[in-house]
Amino acid sequence: MAILPHPRQIQMAVVDWLDQRFPFTQSVDEALYQRVPNFANAFYYCFGGMVFVLIVLQLVTGVLLAIYYVPDAAGNPAPAYTSVQTTIMKDVSLGWLIRGVHFWGANLLVVMIVVHMARVFWTGSYRAPRELNWMVGVVLLLVVLFFSLTGYLLPWDTKAYWATSVTLQVMRGAPVVGGLIASILQGSSTLGPQTLQRFFDIHVFILPALVLLFMYIHFRLIRRHGISEPL
Amino acid sequence: MKERAGILVTQWDGYLREGPGAVTTAVPIVEVESGEHVLEPPSKRMQIGPDHILYPILIGLALFPILMGASGHHLADDLPEDETHPFFPDHFWPYPVIMAMMLFTVGLLAALVQQNMQLGPSADPRTVVNPRPDWYFLWLFQFLKVGNEIITAYVIPAIIVIGLLLWPFIDQALGSRLARRLHWPWWPVPGRNVITGTAWVLFMTFLVAFTFWAIVPVTIFGIGGSTT
Repeated sequence: MAILPHPRQIQMAVVDWLDQRFPFTQSVDEALYQRVPNFANAFYYCFGGMVFVLIVLQLVTGVLLAIYYVPDAAGNPAPAYTSVQTTIMKDVSLGWLIRGVHFWGANLLVVMIVVHMARVFWTGSYRAPRELNWMVGVVLLLVVLFFSLTGYLLPWDTKAYWATSVTLQVMRGAPVVGGLIASILQGSSTLGPQTLQRFFDIHVFILPALVLLFMYIHFRLIRRHGISEPL
Repeated sequence: MKERAGILVTQWDGYLREGPGAVTTAVPIVEVESGEHVLEPPSKRMQIGPDHILYPILIGLALFPILMGASGHHLADDLPEDETHPFFPDHFWPYPVIMAMMLFTVGLLAALVQQNMQLGPSADPRTVVNPRPDWYFLWLFQFLKVGNEIITAYVIPAIIVIGLLLWPFIDQALGSRLARRLHWPWWPVPGRNVITGTAWVLFMTFLVAFTFWAIVPVTIFGIGGSTT
């Protein structure tokens, strides 16, 4: 009977095998044992981290909600409405909690972004060499606002319908490109099932990809610049 | 079977050794330049090396920074050792605590405050209701009622977004000019951020005032709040 190797030896074999293909151990060391200036311990540097936690929470709960949500606005009551009001809120176990976390997370996210922005504003962290990261952050803010704009329509109740109708009406009035943007978003001559389908597509496919991309750039630049010195 | 002596081979335990017991021939280790990076001395690190049972968890934690790649020379690399601390665990530990607190807060809100997420009846183009946007768009909603629509709906929001985007450059241009006029010895002034702070407070006041105006039934200059 062969003698089984100690688990530690198996682990070391795996680590060595990995290290020969990519410097994992070195990367772990560089990531974890980087030195951080002591001034970075101030409490107000954690708001950005809170925003990150909330965005991850939104992605997780959003994926869970998408299992039961039906982006179909035909008829009254529409399947989109019943899938939220009945399936998620009543039938599925803990569905109400997942939707609640998604709802309140979205609200808290906007609050925390404003707080994080206020901190960056106040400590002057947007100044050289961090201008580019500030601009990436503003783009992220716009992406998040567009997230909440598209997400607001998805339950397909009257108040979402008419709020979106006003939004599209305002967009349509914008000079030069307004009509084009509004017609792309609306998708048909009236606000209807096509609009919901497009808002769902934007909310679930386009914006998450954008938010992940810009978050990656945001963090990459932070790692490059380091944490800015306080006032 | 004959082994060729003098060639380093990987054995089942992963170590490179000479001689018999070879499973595969050695793969050259890929060296990636780490630049001028100064890391925590091993004596200050937590004693969890690649042979520790918790190491896979550490890899999981570090996966995100691994994706990030090397970050190059840092401010912290030039600071004396007693003015810095290791990222892990000293700087990292509050974040799981913050995460737990946020999960708890959001979960509590979801469990206890249900009325904000209640839906109206299913949408019907024939039933017109008074449209209300989300609370963070209320200021814009109220602002649309003030003055010319072209200006309040398009020009000023566009100015706000472009101003935010280009703020670092605006601040640089304005700040140094203001500093020269006020005979400040340097710009930016250490310890205070006058222009930006004032702009932020004014902008926030504007947002909060219009949000309140949208909520409370107050009529100013013939323009109503929540009732219209």
